[in-house]
Amino acid sequence: MKWFRFTVLILAGAIIQSSALMETVSLTVQHIKPNILLILLVYFAISCDSYDAIIISFAIGFAADLTGALIGPYFISFGIIGTAIAHIRKLILVKKTGQQAIVIFAAGILIQIPAIILAKIKGSTAETGGFLEIFAVPIYSAILWFLVKWPVTAIGKWLGVGIHRFKLRIDER
Amino acid sequence: MARRQFKPSKLTLFIGLVLLGCIFLLLPQNVTSRLNFAFIDIFGFFLKMGSSVTQNRPAALSPDYVPREEYNRLQTAYANLEAELAEQKKQVDVLSKVRLTEPDPSTGLVLAKVVNKKENEFIINRGAGDGLKTGQYVLGDNAVIGLVEQVSNDISSVRLVTSSACKIPIKISAPEINKYFNGTIQGNDKKGARVLNIPQKYEIKTGFNVYAAEKAGFLRSMRIIGRIAKCTAGEKNPTVWDITVEPAYNLNNITDVAVIVLKQPE
Repeated sequence: MKWFRFTVLILAGAIIQSSALMETVSLTVQHIKPNILLILLVYFAISCDSYDAIIISFAIGFAADLTGALIGPYFISFGIIGTAIAHIRKLILVKKTGQQAIVIFAAGILIQIPAIILAKIKGSTAETGGFLEIFAVPIYSAILWFLVKWPVTAIGKWLGVGIHRFKLRIDER
Repeated sequence: MARRQFKPSKLTLFIGLVLLGCIFLLLPQNVTSRLNFAFIDIFGFFLKMGSSVTQNRPAALSPDYVPREEYNRLQTAYANLEAELAEQKKQVDVLSKVRLTEPDPSTGLVLAKVVNKKENEFIINRGAGDGLKTGQYVLGDNAVIGLVEQVSNDISSVRLVTSSACKIPIKISAPEINKYFNGTIQGNDKKGARVLNIPQKYEIKTGFNVYAAEKAGFLRSMRIIGRIAKCTAGEKNPTVWDITVEPAYNLNNITDVAVIVLKQPE
């Protein structure tokens, strides 16, 4: 894993996620946008070894917090869900694109709900989106995965991951 | 001796990072928000990228396009205006009906709602602040129904023609001979009023209209009060008529009134 390149990638992902550019792909009047960081989280969680996946998950969560208004809620929720995916993929093969899209959808919901709760605990008064938005963003991200899988995989290879993709490393057996 | 590289176990790493997240969460927002502001400050240029593209979206090009927040704000204002317009239309309808029988343009009308009904008395929601004063004529459905009795700044009491405390100079129309007979009307504290001291030499009949007579400063032209319901020889004094007048409208059904406020000459 090339950590410097990874840092640049996550930073770029965070910038794109919070940039006005994402408005061009937003849907409906509620401005539903895909979550690039969610896609990256799931990709790295199922592609890296579990040790790296823990660090990556929390790092992506931190990037997600930077793009929002609070530091902490996404750090924890991305970290926990990313770590969980990294462990689950040892038991369940997530090989097909459709399966990966389902994981993105499920992870999106599982991340959003605790993040909203944690944000409320921290005392955020910002609107957290309705029931539709909690489900719509993961659905949009999951659908987008079919389109961006190839470039994300190429970036993953550039970062030095994906070589052991969908397989268990020798030291993890 | 080679330096040992520190590499915690997965569990230690995970717990450590979760604890770090908890620390982030517990830190005051004004401290952690500095990170968010720093991110925006540093990458502000990149974050604005695409804003021109967004502004040039087809919807934004339309002159009819407004943001959702603006639309909601305008919709709320529109709903309020619509309700106000309905109320104004209602008042115009009432005023236009009154105007049909009130040709004098110098006559001012103050519309009021009946907020309380007592025995032979109405309480209306207009007062001295609206130009009301004691003795002014009050119309209900275009007929005189009483006089303003007491006035406060924002409410007034109206003594109805059915009250014995209400005395109004009147004219009885005799269309057959094209004459008017002067008199005074006084309520009978029931549902009608009596006309006092009309000599029997005047040919008064049931069904004649009774009008409120002109009164300087209060009423410039006659306005109907009611019709004669009963006309018999007086019991105490047989030389005068005992006339019972029925108001033109059922006073119990009146919810809105108009007070005649004459404009003073400048």
